[in-house]
Amino acid sequence: MRRRVVITGMGVVTPLGHSVGELFVSQIEGRTAVAPITHFDARTFPTTFASEVKNFDLARFIPGAERYANCGVNTHYALAAGRGALAEAGLLEVKGDRSRMGVYLGSGEGKEDFHALTTSTATATVPGERVSNIRQAVGLLYQRLSGPQEAEQEMFVPSGYLANEFALDGPFASCQTACAASSQAIGEAAEIIRCGEADMMLAGGSHSMITPLGISGFNRLTALSQRNDSPTTASRPFDLTRDGFVIGEGAGLIVLEELESAKARGANIIAELTGYGSTADAYRMTDPHPQGRGAIRAMADAIADAGLVPTDIGYVNAHGTSTQANDAAETAAIKAVFGEYAYKVPISSSKSMLGHLIAAAGVVEMVISIMALRKGVVPPTINYQTPDPECDLDYVPNQAREVRFKHVLSNSFGFGGQNIALVASLYRD
Amino acid sequence: MVSNSRRTVLTGFGVLNPVGSTPDAFWQALLAGACGVRTISLLDASELPTHIAGEVPNFSAKAMMADTKYRKSVNAMARTVELGVIGSQLAVQHAGLSKGSVPPDRIGIEFASLMGATDINDMAAASKLSSPDGEHVDMEVWGKQGLNEIVPIWMLKYLPNMPACHTTILYDLRGPSNTQIPGDSAGLVALAEAARIIRRGAADVMVVGGSEGRLNPITLARYNLFVQLSRRNDDPTRAVRPFDSARDGTVMGEGAAVFTLEELEHARNRGATILGEVVGWASGVDRGKKGPGLARVIRNALAAAGIQPRDVDHVNAHGTGTTVGDAFEARGIAEVFGRDTPVFAPLSRFGNLGAASGLSELACSVLALKHGEVPGTLNHEKPAPDCPIAVHAGAPRTVKKPYVLKVSYTNLGQCAAAVVKRWE
Repeated sequence: MRRRVVITGMGVVTPLGHSVGELFVSQIEGRTAVAPITHFDARTFPTTFASEVKNFDLARFIPGAERYANCGVNTHYALAAGRGALAEAGLLEVKGDRSRMGVYLGSGEGKEDFHALTTSTATATVPGERVSNIRQAVGLLYQRLSGPQEAEQEMFVPSGYLANEFALDGPFASCQTACAASSQAIGEAAEIIRCGEADMMLAGGSHSMITPLGISGFNRLTALSQRNDSPTTASRPFDLTRDGFVIGEGAGLIVLEELESAKARGANIIAELTGYGSTADAYRMTDPHPQGRGAIRAMADAIADAGLVPTDIGYVNAHGTSTQANDAAETAAIKAVFGEYAYKVPISSSKSMLGHLIAAAGVVEMVISIMALRKGVVPPTINYQTPDPECDLDYVPNQAREVRFKHVLSNSFGFGGQNIALVASLYRD
Repeated sequence: MVSNSRRTVLTGFGVLNPVGSTPDAFWQALLAGACGVRTISLLDASELPTHIAGEVPNFSAKAMMADTKYRKSVNAMARTVELGVIGSQLAVQHAGLSKGSVPPDRIGIEFASLMGATDINDMAAASKLSSPDGEHVDMEVWGKQGLNEIVPIWMLKYLPNMPACHTTILYDLRGPSNTQIPGDSAGLVALAEAARIIRRGAADVMVVGGSEGRLNPITLARYNLFVQLSRRNDDPTRAVRPFDSARDGTVMGEGAAVFTLEELEHARNRGATILGEVVGWASGVDRGKKGPGLARVIRNALAAAGIQPRDVDHVNAHGTGTTVGDAFEARGIAEVFGRDTPVFAPLSRFGNLGAASGLSELACSVLALKHGEVPGTLNHEKPAPDCPIAVHAGAPRTVKKPYVLKVSYTNLGQCAAAVVKRWE
């Protein structure tokens, strides 16, 4: 028998609440967090709204939060979500050896110093020119950037501080596979436990791209919804009139634990992580394969890895970004995997309410999936009004639904063609 | 339980390095004692306190890209991405593989990379419009006009997962694809994950690499602000001094190192040349970089390989030449090996290659085991009292034992180790 992996703690920082309870109630009630951007002045951007984390104060989660003053919010959110997960698992108190406990974080870049970058570049550029005086720009950047602040934006920083803050001395990894990152972190962290390199992994993701350069970049790619006159209805996965995703931010971390080790310490077992599938499209940089080639195999692999068949899955938490390409390809892929059953299984997109948390999306959606599994309630896809003939499955439109089920499948697909599927199951001895 | 009997061997190697960009040129340069650290020529960095680095000379992704139809995609690649994609191409070619020669579902990629900083010139026009005085930024102008001056694919040039993404497209790799970002430890983390993937049967071949193109205005300015960099601008080849009493910091470098990692029977069946076997790995955190945590990671890697410290021919250290870093690393190594095992620190030859450092450094020892001699550590002249290890410097020494242990770490104490065995 291979080592079984269970979930014993979950923590989140999201636009719909800073606890798992708040987040799930909001999801069931169909509330949205999408609103005009407040992190910077985005009033003239093609997209002026996002799904932001509000009223967040790290000091409410961590003693000595001022030590992290120079860090980006990706580190702040990770620390808060990590604390929530470890507290629920009863692993916050450090006693004895912690070398069998590790961290696997899907995360991204820290905060950019937009002002220093822009003004240095501008000074070194003659009006009308497209090329800067590099010598001058380098000198100005050296003067205007803050060393202590820049040091904390390195990509190993969020995962490193999680390990240091919570004394997780065991194996670590940190991945950036765009929108698939935190699901991949969960899947590979489970494999680290399965093969015996660790007994516990704090796994998930943390990310914010609601910055001037982040929004500029996505706007130039025309990936974001531009429904500026109606932000709350902008994220409309699987609806015919969808026009792009709504960017969000946040973090989620879950405690993955080897079953016997969890039992031995009397931990409360929330669910079991039973299946993981990971593939690449090998197709294009931004577009998914139109028939969902990689997504099909990721889902099929995850279901097989769990020792199940597709009809065992009682709910699919879709990637459902609200882009034309993703939602059509994902629907096609679900049909290919589930056959006739694709029309029966409830499918919904958490992003309709939460927006797209990028590297943190997968883990937060896994948390929602596990709550749905335990409570027997499936969250809706809100803003679903106009059916799309290409997307003709049951997306649980606009109203939550009571459904009892034992296994949930959660999909995450990333820019660059990484496809991740995870299966979580009610725990049974 | 998934069988652990699947063994993982290195079968192909691609390198882009300040001292050489073919496996042979790289090896000959290492043996000859060459150093690739010089005054930066990719940009005028003379305003910075440190303006020396390890550059890859004469690198042109467009010229080197074998798939001519893909050449135009180079326009959508920052230099980090270019180095990673071409490095992967070189590794795949060196392994004797080509697109479709392995069933696409059975081959994947694990890459170590970082977010590339934007090219200043990509922001020049937008910045000038939004900040005519170079002091204040008008966000309304940026949103309305400035943003339109930025090329649409701008973001794709810099995303960390792009080396892996382009490589999956070029070679039709449809197995697992992941990109590791834990700084200088990312390469060994990627190697461990790739080996795990092959062991559990999720793929038969994994491209495993790291690339780093940090010699650009923003990144260099940043590192000059918070990394201890050597001030020996006038004496670049003697600047990085691993574990030496006169060490005064590291220097930055760029490059790529990419391997193909392959399940043993798969490699044998296709008659591949085997460069070495990856037999063990471990990672863990040494909070406060004290030493015992690194020692624990080293012991775990040795245990995973089923060997003792005395079985190790030499330790391949990160050896950055920083005051704090080298002392920490030496403490950890000394706790396991004392002064009994020679320590080789190749970084002084080419600078700190960041996301490419782990695998570039490891490659030096893979080649050493293959060729039977270990090049000396450059610029280790007067052993530092706070580094109680036996650094191998000077003329090459003969390999006496079949294993090398490689160590990497980040500034927050995230330590990784791997054990490679000579192939016989």
